[in-house]
Amino acid sequence: MKRESPVEILNWLRRIHVMTVKEFLQLLRDVVLLIFIAYAFTADIYLAGAGVSLQLREAALVVMDHDKSASSRELLSRFMPPNFKISAEEATHPRHAMDLLDRGNAMAVIDIGPSFEKSLIAGEPTTVQIQIDTTNSVLGFLASSYAQQITGKYGLEIALKKLGAAGGSVATGPVILDDHRVWFNPNQNDAWFMSISELLTIITLFSVLLPAAAMVREKERGTIEQLLVAPLSAFQIMFPKVLAMTTVILIGCAISLTVVITGIFHVPIKGSLTLFFAVTALYVFTTAGLGLFISTIARNLAQVGMMTVLVFTPMLFLSGAWTPPEAMPAWMRTVMYASPLHYYIDTGFGILLKGAGIDILWDEILEMALLGSVIFGMGMWRFRKQFE
Amino acid sequence: MNVRRISAVAQKEWREIVRDKVFFSLAFIVPVAMMILLGYGLSLDVENIPLTIVDDDRSAMSRDYAYRFIGSRYFDFKGYTAHERDLRVLLTDNRVRAAIIIPPDFEKNLLAGRPSAVQTLIDGTFPFRAQTTKGYIIAINSAVNMDLMADHLSRAKGISIQKAHELLRPVILETRYLYNQSLKSIWSLAPKLIMLILMISPPFLTALGVVREKESGSIYNIYVSTVSRAEFLIGKLFPYLAISLVNALILFLLATGLFGAPFKGSVLVFFASTLVYVCCTTGIGLVASVFVRTQTAAMIVTSIITLVPAVLYSGVLIPVFSLEKTAQVVAHLLPAMYYTNIVTACFLKGIGIAYFWQDILVLAGYAAALMLLGYLMFRKRTSS
Repeated sequence: MKRESPVEILNWLRRIHVMTVKEFLQLLRDVVLLIFIAYAFTADIYLAGAGVSLQLREAALVVMDHDKSASSRELLSRFMPPNFKISAEEATHPRHAMDLLDRGNAMAVIDIGPSFEKSLIAGEPTTVQIQIDTTNSVLGFLASSYAQQITGKYGLEIALKKLGAAGGSVATGPVILDDHRVWFNPNQNDAWFMSISELLTIITLFSVLLPAAAMVREKERGTIEQLLVAPLSAFQIMFPKVLAMTTVILIGCAISLTVVITGIFHVPIKGSLTLFFAVTALYVFTTAGLGLFISTIARNLAQVGMMTVLVFTPMLFLSGAWTPPEAMPAWMRTVMYASPLHYYIDTGFGILLKGAGIDILWDEILEMALLGSVIFGMGMWRFRKQFE
Repeated sequence: MNVRRISAVAQKEWREIVRDKVFFSLAFIVPVAMMILLGYGLSLDVENIPLTIVDDDRSAMSRDYAYRFIGSRYFDFKGYTAHERDLRVLLTDNRVRAAIIIPPDFEKNLLAGRPSAVQTLIDGTFPFRAQTTKGYIIAINSAVNMDLMADHLSRAKGISIQKAHELLRPVILETRYLYNQSLKSIWSLAPKLIMLILMISPPFLTALGVVREKESGSIYNIYVSTVSRAEFLIGKLFPYLAISLVNALILFLLATGLFGAPFKGSVLVFFASTLVYVCCTTGIGLVASVFVRTQTAAMIVTSIITLVPAVLYSGVLIPVFSLEKTAQVVAHLLPAMYYTNIVTACFLKGIGIAYFWQDILVLAGYAAALMLLGYLMFRKRTSS
């Protein structure tokens, strides 16, 4: 290696500086793009956090009560919000009930037989039927397990009351009382989860798409020829682009954290924001390698778009952003370990919600950095090659 | 309106698409790849929850209790933890999602006929998972309690354990699952994925196709030609509609063939409604393309206005009735929800068009409105 004189280093820095200014100007002059970046980091995250809940909420329950007794009403009154909501409309006939289910006006129909109370008083087992729409299998399962819990508890209370009257006290008997404590989000507020999840998603989308698009645009417009004849190395062309995009994304992230996530949803940020931004910068920078990689394969922006969708969507769904990763088939979980987003999500939630520090998250950050370096290196390698 | 001019524009567009080999193949590969990846990967089933247990009692009964959880397919037992204070690190580092702490004297209290309290810690970062985990724990716990009480009752009253069980469960809930009897999540998911993918891919293709002409400047050829606005738009959109319809057919075959989802409705009605829906989503791409000037912006705009709402407000993961009031309004304003109704009706429910003609009508109205909007906003004159 030859020793570089101070003038050369200065020149090197100046070129980087000029290119960075150029990238910023180009980005700032695309007003539509800027508006949408702003939209994505504020309104979109707000919408995701405000409206979306993955729990069984107010499932429309239609009642067919053939008993109309105090006991049946008592049982029905326990099907209440948040999980169930009894429809105003009562089904009179099984066909009527089926029609309501078909139309999607009911999620479940509960059918109480005419001798419900009589059997309870007589101490005979009695059956209540529930029909559940399982076109959404997850919620169908939840509805069924909640209904099971409600009737089980009701039955037990009736039984204990009867037995208590007969002299056998079981109420203080050998039972396991179980006390649940939900950590990190005690009220299970979906907004906390969804807004952060959406933020991490948007960051990923932009960190793949923006550098790829910026690079291919030069190809498409032919301005790349100018860059090729300029006294710039591949690194000097690429680095300012990634730097500009990373800055924009970090600013968007800061706005979204202050305005939406803590401002509107009052998410308690437990960990160190410095650490979060450092990790985000690392993540955005390395994921940009993926964008660069795409930009070397794609010849026009349309292709960039398609490839981004092809890379981004699986990454999104297979990283636990919206679905619990534990439920995936084993081979898919293996694939997931190759996605930097998976580690970023763990770290992001770890810092923001759980208050984890670098002492706990070092392994995830390290894996993310390693994976990122590989991705960035590949992108850089392909990028260099196209200049040869 | 001149058919020859329309077909000329359509042919030109078609050639442009076909000659861009990468774009052309991606137009088909992306939907198929998404269908396969999401079909296998997008599962909300909560299983294999990593669990640890702190057993401070170390008795026969506490081990029995622990085994109820260890043996369950819902939990993935990660081994016992010696001290309660270690749990914080395990939960924070995502090594376990739930922890059960069995107190000392657990067995002693129960044998003496006294209640014993067990503590459960659950990782609440993902509320849906936390809720479901809690549900499993409650269910297992109440099954154990039922056994304990039946045992106690049978000894106290001198009746058989089976009789005691019957006495404690006077109300039996009989559950019937409709439409998807075996609760296969892929059967629920695959039809809705058709909705999702047809929401994402046609607008993307269309917006890029229109904006590409703007960005490269070839649109000036159109501006100065005799082709009218309507002719240009119809001719331009036609190839994208055709591609999307072929994709719809492929996705349909994947859903029924690869994932084995039952199709109970009429194929003809399904494809007719799909055509309307694809017109709708293509229209979204058209309108988006009118607003933006660069292809980068076109991609970002379409992905933001289609992908996120289609996942969140369409009923693919969360049914519309479970949404907050504002989100319900949003859902009704977007086309995805109506098509979701049609898809579930045709695939799982197998009900006739009488149940969902209104949905088709809304979609048709939506498509017409979008096309009209695109037509009105599209100017052959450059703004000065």
